Amino acid sequence: MAEISEAPAPSCQNDKKSDQPSDPSSDFDPETMRRTKPGLKRLILTLSVLFSFLLGLPFLLKSVEIYRSPLPFTDIDSLSAAVESSPILFPCHFHAVFVNFPATSSSSSGNELGFSIHSRMRKLFPENETPVCGSCNNNFSVSVTLDGSTLLNDFTYDRNLENFDEIWDDHLNSVLNKDSYTVVVVNREDVEEVRAVVGKHRHAWIEGRILKEDEPELLERIAEIFVKVFVNGGKEEGSIHGEFMPVGADGRVVLSFNLLNADPRDWVYDWDFQWIEEILLAPIVETLRPLADVSVESQVLYHTPKSSFSYWDDKLTSHVFSTKDLPFFVNSNEWHLDTSTAAGGRSKILQFVVYIPSSRECPLLLQLPNEEFSPTNGFISPMWGGVVVWNPPACLNVSESTHPHRQMISPKAMKKVFEIFTGQLRQLFGLKSDSFFAGASGTSILLASERGFTEWELDVLSRQHTCFNLLQCATTLGSLSRLVQSLPRMIIMDEIGKQVKFSLEAAKLTLRNASLGIYDAASVCSRQARSLAEDAFYHPSMMSVSYYSFEHCFAVYSPFFLPVSLHVLLAVLREWKRYKQEQKKYLAWTNVKI
Amino acid sequence: MIMDVRLILLFLLLLFASESLANEEIVEKDEDFSEALLLRPLPDRKVLAHFHFQSRLPPTNLHGRHHHLFPKSIFQLVQKFHLREMELSFTQGRWNYERWGGYDPIASSNAKPPGVELWAVFDVPQHQVDAHWKNLTHALSGLFCASINFLEHSTTYATPEWSFRSSGGNLKYGTLPREAVCTENLTPWLKLLPCRDKAGLSALMNRPSIYRGYYHSQRLHLMSNEFDSNGLSSGIVLDQTLTIVLQPNILGTGGVFSSGSTLQPSWSLSSLFGRKVGGRCVLSKSSNVYVQLDQNLVSELQKVGKENEGSHHDISENFWSDPSFEMSVPPDKKIREVESLDSGGSSILYEFSVENYSDSKPFDLGFRWKVPLVWSCQQAPLSVSRYLMGSGNERGSIAISLKSNRMSHRMKNVDNNAGECWLRVDLFQVVPWYVKVYYHTLKIFIDEELQSMADTVEKIRVSPSEDKGLPGVMEMTLRLPCGVRSAALTLEFDKGFLHIDEYPPDANQGFDIPSAVVVFGDFETSMHLADDDSLNKIPLLSKLRDNNRVLAYTEVLLVPLTTPDFSMPYNVITITCTVFALYFGSLLNALRRRVGEERRLLKSKASKKTSQLSLLLPKLFAKLRRKSWEPPNQSSSSSSFNYKLIVKVLLVAGLAVVWQYYSS
Repeated sequence: MAEISEAPAPSCQNDKKSDQPSDPSSDFDPETMRRTKPGLKRLILTLSVLFSFLLGLPFLLKSVEIYRSPLPFTDIDSLSAAVESSPILFPCHFHAVFVNFPATSSSSSGNELGFSIHSRMRKLFPENETPVCGSCNNNFSVSVTLDGSTLLNDFTYDRNLENFDEIWDDHLNSVLNKDSYTVVVVNREDVEEVRAVVGKHRHAWIEGRILKEDEPELLERIAEIFVKVFVNGGKEEGSIHGEFMPVGADGRVVLSFNLLNADPRDWVYDWDFQWIEEILLAPIVETLRPLADVSVESQVLYHTPKSSFSYWDDKLTSHVFSTKDLPFFVNSNEWHLDTSTAAGGRSKILQFVVYIPSSRECPLLLQLPNEEFSPTNGFISPMWGGVVVWNPPACLNVSESTHPHRQMISPKAMKKVFEIFTGQLRQLFGLKSDSFFAGASGTSILLASERGFTEWELDVLSRQHTCFNLLQCATTLGSLSRLVQSLPRMIIMDEIGKQVKFSLEAAKLTLRNASLGIYDAASVCSRQARSLAEDAFYHPSMMSVSYYSFEHCFAVYSPFFLPVSLHVLLAVLREWKRYKQEQKKYLAWTNVKI
Repeated sequence: MIMDVRLILLFLLLLFASESLANEEIVEKDEDFSEALLLRPLPDRKVLAHFHFQSRLPPTNLHGRHHHLFPKSIFQLVQKFHLREMELSFTQGRWNYERWGGYDPIASSNAKPPGVELWAVFDVPQHQVDAHWKNLTHALSGLFCASINFLEHSTTYATPEWSFRSSGGNLKYGTLPREAVCTENLTPWLKLLPCRDKAGLSALMNRPSIYRGYYHSQRLHLMSNEFDSNGLSSGIVLDQTLTIVLQPNILGTGGVFSSGSTLQPSWSLSSLFGRKVGGRCVLSKSSNVYVQLDQNLVSELQKVGKENEGSHHDISENFWSDPSFEMSVPPDKKIREVESLDSGGSSILYEFSVENYSDSKPFDLGFRWKVPLVWSCQQAPLSVSRYLMGSGNERGSIAISLKSNRMSHRMKNVDNNAGECWLRVDLFQVVPWYVKVYYHTLKIFIDEELQSMADTVEKIRVSPSEDKGLPGVMEMTLRLPCGVRSAALTLEFDKGFLHIDEYPPDANQGFDIPSAVVVFGDFETSMHLADDDSLNKIPLLSKLRDNNRVLAYTEVLLVPLTTPDFSMPYNVITITCTVFALYFGSLLNALRRRVGEERRLLKSKASKKTSQLSLLLPKLFAKLRRKSWEPPNQSSSSSSFNYKLIVKVLLVAGLAVVWQYYSS
């Protein structure tokens, strides 16, 4: 190579001599001139080699290409843009019914009343900030029925009955339209105080002696019940946000109940979980069905001490565990609250723990920061579950027998513990567990459902859940598309493409259902959209690290292409240079000749 | 009249049966858990410790799916994979059949091949078995922190039909001989016990001392008939055993006796395990420690006892003593094996209940020998070993040799018609696909004489391996004459090649052929304990009383395969590319070379001057070729130029060769 490359430049001198040794022309300078046109043969040859290489390059790239299923990137982007720019809002219908109001006493017609409630409600919605995702949109409708006395047909209105509220609630449920949220106002001359009760279904009622001058206050109250209770679910700032809904990506929740005997040498307690599941848990599981697929399992563990210490309080004759130590209560080394086969994949497990302290720390009380004692003697940890400390009745008179018998926790105690668990579950889902709602214009009683969740609460959860799922779906698909675009040499299977497509379809369906106000269908679709998006993101082929990287490609092909391209390019350059030089010489000769 | 009596008898029998059934139902209404530990001095100065934990679960359809003792994860496993029976064992070390015995219930059911062995019987239709097996391996690998999921691939497991144990094709068997077993496998296993290792006998499991032993096998056996179609389900029984062979630290008393034999080492629980038992697990139904003296030892003891007859036979305040040994705690019960016709002696079990001990008063059993004793364990009828023959990386052969132990076992169920006596041996061998066994080369030697297949093989099933698909499986029933001294089987094989991706990380170590299983079908071993109800209640004893098939596992074989240089693909790529590049370059240069021009150039150069250096090399070369060197004249300049080039290239190549030679 070296010898050859030296050749062209100095060769010109002798070249001409041999070509034209006997030229008589005196002005011919063999150093700078030549008589013949320089040949193109070698230049064309080297160029053709170069071009054939260049032509071959696309074929090579095609042959080393990896399969990438086309993903609808624009659709993904438009979905995330749509979800992020405007939160999903649902259409809501509100209905107010006035009973026992003399036609003359109401100063205004139904439409006017409706309008005034509407404007009051509008004020209650936060004006300037964007509405919370999953609430009602601004074009809600309010209708008013002035003479609702037909509601009282077939009903003996006797307030002295013990469970009057329940009966009245059931009666209203049977008469009222279930599509809209309803407030029934009953004017009772014989009742002094005005009482507001929110029922278990989609309605509330206000009863009492309502004077004409109280009307604005009444309307204010109706508006507040509509907005604060039915739309926002009676929540306040600080309660668990909807984003932390403890539902797995595949729409499943496993409630794992654990009975922990801290030290079985002191006492061994057992529960009749069969009974608990059938009687106490089955209704809750059934109620939550539209939100999540709930399954229940249980286990009893022994030798499970808590990991932090409590101190003995003489005054209370009990052991006290303060709230600031709560993070150290759960002993993850000894509490084998295992995952279960039922919770395969990406479903969520909520652990509920009944902790039975040993005799050395019994009775054990949890102390709140304000020095008071927790009435439930339990706590929750968001997204993890809840713990209840149950002090056995035989706490103080420990028998010194080394072989304790297995004792059953009494059904009464069990019922109490599970009421606390129901409360904890509500809290984990972001609902409050108070029995009243204190608004700006008065307190309303909230009737608790024996099924754990009332209908209007479920509506709130379902709306939030839909919204959260859709957000999550959009985020997941967004990250997927970013990931795929940032790794151009990653294999993408057809299956992923399909999952993304179906996920987008489900998301679109969710948006349509939400705009039509079909809560259940929207919730189901959103769940599907999210789980498909997660499936695509966590597809095993995506997780594999061994994608065919550019570095790998370079390492394999460079030993060939680097030296060859050097040869080819240099040859072309040299030939081109030489050709230009010779052409100049020839031109010089032609100039001289002329 | 006779008919009547019969009828009445039948009626009574039925009545009795139904009553006892009812009794049993009452007994089995609730879950229970029991623990036991069996200790046995071994002839080679070691001690066998065998922990046995049993959890029983009544049937789900009566009792529901919530339990207070039975581990949730195992229950879910059974429910999800429809397991009828499953056994998973983690073993480190090899059971020494000659010294530790091969013919007692513990050896036959707890001696396991090294690494992980898993077999399971599924209660699902045939076509679903594979899918269930795969999922099961994954679930277990998560549960026990082991790479059991490697058994998922169809090359790693087999379907034995009759040799391993009989089942209707729903049995899958797989082993991982190289799995390392350590605490990370023990901890999840302990988690399945209600008291874990916090209380009870399992508190003895001090990790450093149990992993220091010579043999360590942790086993989980699961029996369930939840899915029986007839509805007669008896629930799930989960047996967990840990079998370890420990070397006791020699306590001070070891001395040489007059006869020259040394005393067996004395031991205690605290010296073996470094811990004591602080009471029972409160959740267990029974919690006992047993010390077993096996048959041959007992007969030795009797001999010593006769010699020493009349000497002191005291029970001192701290020691319960026998003429030849003493124990620091008096046993609560002495269980003597019922003498049966076919066994030479009877073994003795001393029972200690841990019931009345507590943390403040821990149970620590000490065992001290007074007299030196030599005895041997009961052997299986044949001792088995397997080895490789041949050399090189191409082919070899596997040999399984069986040697008679010349034992006085009376052979039960042996064909005795026509005066002939046969010994049946079942063999089950799984061979990975890359060891390509030629089954037609099977040769059987009995007493070093080649035998024909038809004479010795009663039944054989071979399923040949399929490349990257199925392992080779051989099941065989051999029929050997009772008086056989030795028998051997040889099989030739070729070593296959694997794809470069299929080599494990440490390919040069070699590849394992899993242990073969040898079952002595005619023999069953059990302890002949008296038919006592109280003994029945203790799962360990009822396990010992059950008839166990006598089986033995052979060694794991290590086959070295040809391993490629793993950087080879890249080297190949590089060298091919370089050759191609050279070819292209020289071709291109040859194409655009102007020979005439170069010649002229050289001529002019030569006319200017001939450098001394450029002349030196041809001079040298000429000298080497013993030719008179003539200075290059003008006419031959081009040829000498080429000549020079060749010389240069050769020189460089020569230097490279020399350097390569010396550097390596």
